[in-house]
Amino acid sequence: MAKSKRSWLIHLFPLPALILYVMFVLYPLFSAFSYSLYDWKGIAKGAFVGLENFTTLFTKEPFNEMFWRAIQHNLIYFVIEMIVQNGLGFLLAYIIYRKIRGAELLKAAYFLPRLLSVIIVGFLWKLILNPNFGALNTFLGKLGLESWAKPWLGDPDTALYAIILVNCWFGIGFAVLVFLAGLQSIPAELIEAARLDGANRLRLLRSVVLPLCMPSITIMSVLTFIQAFEAFELVYAMQGSMGEPVYSTDTLAVYFYRLAFGGAGGTDTVAIGLGSALAVVLFLIVASVSAISLYLLRKREVQH
Amino acid sequence: MKKRGLHAFTTVALAASLFVSACSGGSGSQNTAPSGETPQQQSPSGEQVVLEMHSWRVEDVAGYEKIIQAFEKENPGIKINFKPFKATEYNTILNTALQSDSGPDILQLRPYATGIALADAGYLEPLDGVKGLEQFPKDFLAASTGKDGKVYGVPLSINSTQIYYNKDLFEQNGLQEPKSWDELIQVSKTLKEKGITPFAFGSKEGWLLSLSHGVIAPGAYNGNGFVEKLLKGETNLTSPEFLLSVQRMKELTTYFPENFTGLELTDLRALFATGKAAMFINGSFELEGIRQLNPDLKIDFFPMPTDDGKQVITTWVDGSYGVNAKSKHKAEALKFMEFMTTKTFGEIFANELKRISAVPGVQSSDPLVNKMAELAQSSATPYLMVVHLSQGNPTTKVTLETSLQALYLDQLTPEQVTQEVEKSAETWFAPLKK
Repeated sequence: MAKSKRSWLIHLFPLPALILYVMFVLYPLFSAFSYSLYDWKGIAKGAFVGLENFTTLFTKEPFNEMFWRAIQHNLIYFVIEMIVQNGLGFLLAYIIYRKIRGAELLKAAYFLPRLLSVIIVGFLWKLILNPNFGALNTFLGKLGLESWAKPWLGDPDTALYAIILVNCWFGIGFAVLVFLAGLQSIPAELIEAARLDGANRLRLLRSVVLPLCMPSITIMSVLTFIQAFEAFELVYAMQGSMGEPVYSTDTLAVYFYRLAFGGAGGTDTVAIGLGSALAVVLFLIVASVSAISLYLLRKREVQH
Repeated sequence: MKKRGLHAFTTVALAASLFVSACSGGSGSQNTAPSGETPQQQSPSGEQVVLEMHSWRVEDVAGYEKIIQAFEKENPGIKINFKPFKATEYNTILNTALQSDSGPDILQLRPYATGIALADAGYLEPLDGVKGLEQFPKDFLAASTGKDGKVYGVPLSINSTQIYYNKDLFEQNGLQEPKSWDELIQVSKTLKEKGITPFAFGSKEGWLLSLSHGVIAPGAYNGNGFVEKLLKGETNLTSPEFLLSVQRMKELTTYFPENFTGLELTDLRALFATGKAAMFINGSFELEGIRQLNPDLKIDFFPMPTDDGKQVITTWVDGSYGVNAKSKHKAEALKFMEFMTTKTFGEIFANELKRISAVPGVQSSDPLVNKMAELAQSSATPYLMVVHLSQGNPTTKVTLETSLQALYLDQLTPEQVTQEVEKSAETWFAPLKK
């Protein structure tokens, strides 16, 4: 009797967390979905229009054009982050793992940018990249490479890449930590056994270290994907809500912000229905791709 | 193993869902049914009524304190709590508050379309019968007149845009205020030859482009005549006059600073305030900012010369104040509206905030502000993009900004810019709608 009473009570314990979760995650999630099904006149809710907002988003100019351009930028964001942030991050982690001198110091140094607020990182790099008195162009000038100096953030050919690289600089420390944790969890005897079997360094990396590191690679890839598709803060801090110049740094989240809250410092038109529809699409993209890639990548993981 | 996979998936799904919910959080809470309407609170005599007042002018707190003091002196029993928000977030904060019925009693209204949208959605109290409202020119009231023809806001200030210039640099090089477009080009040429950047100009921030176009363009299309024809649908934005305005924006390119495509307002302000650039196209609201950066700088400005030998200054109403339709203290709030139409208010506003008061006939202690105010009375032309073309999604104004940015990046020709702008206006602007 007493036992069953206790077990009944136990079910109440998740309640506080559950209430918070429902209030701040599930409710807004569903309300965003419901907003996307209505016509909005500014901030006043209008008639139920079904999926019209979604059709507009995908078929009507200039909304469709902006959507495809933004999603392309998100993809570029993801690819470069995978290569630079995660590729370089893994390499650095591996070097640290091989116990070079000053490993602890390096670990701290790589992680340092992560301690700054993204907004500060954005402004800091905006100063460095300033075309006429920024550190980068001054440095290029000192090296006699004036012709390389550019208005980095004002040129549509370089602006997006500049922002992505800043984001890599910001995020690499985290990648190093995750990969390092993965590397350190590989049992030493496995590596020793491989060595005894005559594996050289490259072979060791390819056939032992990488497969055993798959869990951390999986989680980093998925996290990078989510981050790349939700890229907002840096773009906003460095280029504003218009994805300037000429939408060349626009991402889905920035486009969402512009639709839902009005771009150009709040003086542009507000379209809450379209904004909510875009948020729902964004959610579907991130959730489904994350789930599928998790499933596929998990298959490649090896257990020891 | 399976369990772990499932767990990881839920983690990711949760992380993703957090994003959407974070996004939707701000898009306004649901319209709650008017639950238990608040009882009409008639404040018993002797008790103080506190009015909440929201604004986007964080930098004007000290000035508003003086204004409110003057009002409270005349109206004992009413206290006003002035609360400014960051300009770029003001709209969102205000919209959310109005939707959830927790808005302020008195609120600063964005001019034209954005503010009028609030009136049309029924969030504002019409100001019929507020004394003193009749003295404002119709143009000013148009900034806060709803679709029903009623006025919903007392115009606060007039913004003007013009070309500021560095008096010392002009004198040292024997230059005079230009009286025509050719003279302006000549002045720029001379400055450039002397190694001075003629214009502090940058195209990284779009809004500065439409602002500058707003100054240059009336010179090309000769001010109001074109605007009137446009409003009647007798001409459009691909017309030769408007095309000329865009071509002139392009013509100035050689007089801009190096790497101007990457420069922002702060860079431009610094260029002008430190005397590295001689001219700066900007608004009346920028005057204080320049002076704070370099109090010794001798600045003056000239209005835009038109091709038919006149001169114009580009103006528009910069916001007005309105009353929340759901305010519990409407009578008191309306009293403040009345106060805002008086000269007492206009003078404190002009002197403390160094801005052009919308109240007619108000003088300020600043000669430049007075010069702007006089020109705004005698030779004003509307800031076309703000006053008439600030709708559509994205707005026609934003379309012009993006297209001009592309023009400076050599992605569009002036002809293509006018086509883009026309295409945007045709989607909503009644006189051009097809």
